[in-house]
Amino acid sequence: MSDPINANPTVLDVSQLPSRVTFDKSVNGGNVAAIFQDDDLRDLLSLSLFNGNDDMKEFRVDPDGDVLSMSDPEILSVASSVDGSSSEGENDEDEPIDAQEIFDLVSTISDPEHPLTLGQLAVISLADIKVLNKKAKSEISEVIIKITPTITHCSLATLIGLGIRVRLERCLPPRFRITILVKEGTHQSENQVNKQLNDKERVAAACENEQLLGVISQMLSTCK
Amino acid sequence: MPISLCHSFKGHKDKVWSTSVNPKFPLLATASSDKTCRLYNLNTKQLIEVLDEKTHKKAIRTVDWKPSGDYPILALGSFDATISIWGRENDDYEEYTTTFNTENKSDDWELMAIIEGHENEIKSVSWSCDGEFLSSCSRDKTIWVWECDETNEEFECVSVLQDHTQDVKCCKFHPREILLGSSSYDDTIRLYKQDIYDEDDWCCVSELTGHSGTVWSIDFEKTYNDDKVRLCSCSDDSTVRVWKRLKTIGNSKKEDVPSTLRSEPNSEEWELQQILPEAHERQVYCCSWSPTGKIASVGSDGKIVIYEEDKNNEEWKIRDVHELAHQVAEINSCEWWYNKDEEKEYLITGGDDGIVNIWNID
Repeated sequence: MSDPINANPTVLDVSQLPSRVTFDKSVNGGNVAAIFQDDDLRDLLSLSLFNGNDDMKEFRVDPDGDVLSMSDPEILSVASSVDGSSSEGENDEDEPIDAQEIFDLVSTISDPEHPLTLGQLAVISLADIKVLNKKAKSEISEVIIKITPTITHCSLATLIGLGIRVRLERCLPPRFRITILVKEGTHQSENQVNKQLNDKERVAAACENEQLLGVISQMLSTCK
Repeated sequence: MPISLCHSFKGHKDKVWSTSVNPKFPLLATASSDKTCRLYNLNTKQLIEVLDEKTHKKAIRTVDWKPSGDYPILALGSFDATISIWGRENDDYEEYTTTFNTENKSDDWELMAIIEGHENEIKSVSWSCDGEFLSSCSRDKTIWVWECDETNEEFECVSVLQDHTQDVKCCKFHPREILLGSSSYDDTIRLYKQDIYDEDDWCCVSELTGHSGTVWSIDFEKTYNDDKVRLCSCSDDSTVRVWKRLKTIGNSKKEDVPSTLRSEPNSEEWELQQILPEAHERQVYCCSWSPTGKIASVGSDGKIVIYEEDKNNEEWKIRDVHELAHQVAEINSCEWWYNKDEEKEYLITGGDDGIVNIWNID
């Protein structure tokens, strides 16, 4: 691999990253045990996206386990076992998807260049995630994420954005429209990157490019 | 009057990108990311054939029926950078026409040609009205014009148009005139014609600017009186616009057109007629002009919007809006189907849910 584009990025410690537990600090005291609990909770919340969702079954119809497909039998079986064993499973489904949940889904994606996650590099931050969630699941909802590249000429910004899009398209129900933007003033070709990341045809074509998919699955391999 | 669902074709296993209704036979072709093209009989709503997933290695993005000839010929364009031509030859025309009202007709479709040339994803293909030319456009920023022989097996590239500075999203021939329109990721629309001195040469005769985002698709007005040519366009900027060719070519009344342009024989003057009333909230992926003069548009917000023109003052108005037409899925394509027997117009839409819907527009 050639020289890294940003050899010395600022790194946040994982414990500094926002998580659901920070909102309940008074209850849990924020100790190590609470963080473990939080992980469980996180798993539960993200898994709840996969089960019992009728429109999902209808739309994600690719039997070949295509990249955008939700029909991965492994995920489904895990999800259903969680659903079966937990009485809270049904309540989780009614809980709307919020910014923290989106943060949890994408902050654990690995940077294509560093052995660090997008959360640790502060490419993704909770404050830059906006969720416009419609109450009814039959309506269209929206997620807007602004990413902050580690340096203003980062040529990997599009790849990072694509990784985030693939992750969210795989995990969120089809009612979500995902908009990914480079945060204002953080990239020299902001408009170009934004246009590319939100062109559905280019994204669809990119997802049929094996080489690119290989890189993206590597980035996503650190996701829980 | 409300828009109501008339029929749903469920069969594709992934996004439907494009549909095409045969101008002569009641045949509907649908193209999908699942690498297949499905052919349906519009009279019986039966599946006739699946043009298989082995021909194209990637998503089939676009489909168009050849408007001329005695038997149906189809062009498919794919993200794998190739075009395939399919046909149903050796048919008795009269006999074939009668088969559309009988059930369970087995059909025999043949791959007639594979056309290579583009560097990467093909986004759109379109036949000229006389069937002599096929145009194709790609992310490689070019439009290729192919000349088709009578057997539909040989295609010779007669021109490569390189005026757009970015991906060309759509190319479309005018239904009556040898005039080619295109739209692009560079936010512009361009029009091309054969050079009046050298028919083998194609040149850009006009560039339409105004959209502030990718122009996803264009469609020409179907009626054609007095050389009156108009087109509608739709864009990432969530607007739909109508543009018209000015009647007097090269002899403009407008002062701001440079005289060099006016005297240029290979140029046309176009102007924006109207930005249609706002109805979409997100990207508009497709617009279609109906045989009786309505315009339909669809897009990411899942809406079908129908516009109608007040003939007295040429003012376009919204006639109908239908929300969540493919539930929460994005809608990629819309196309009008004029049913000759019923003398009635239907709208056909294709979405990310893999479904193709036929709508009653009363």
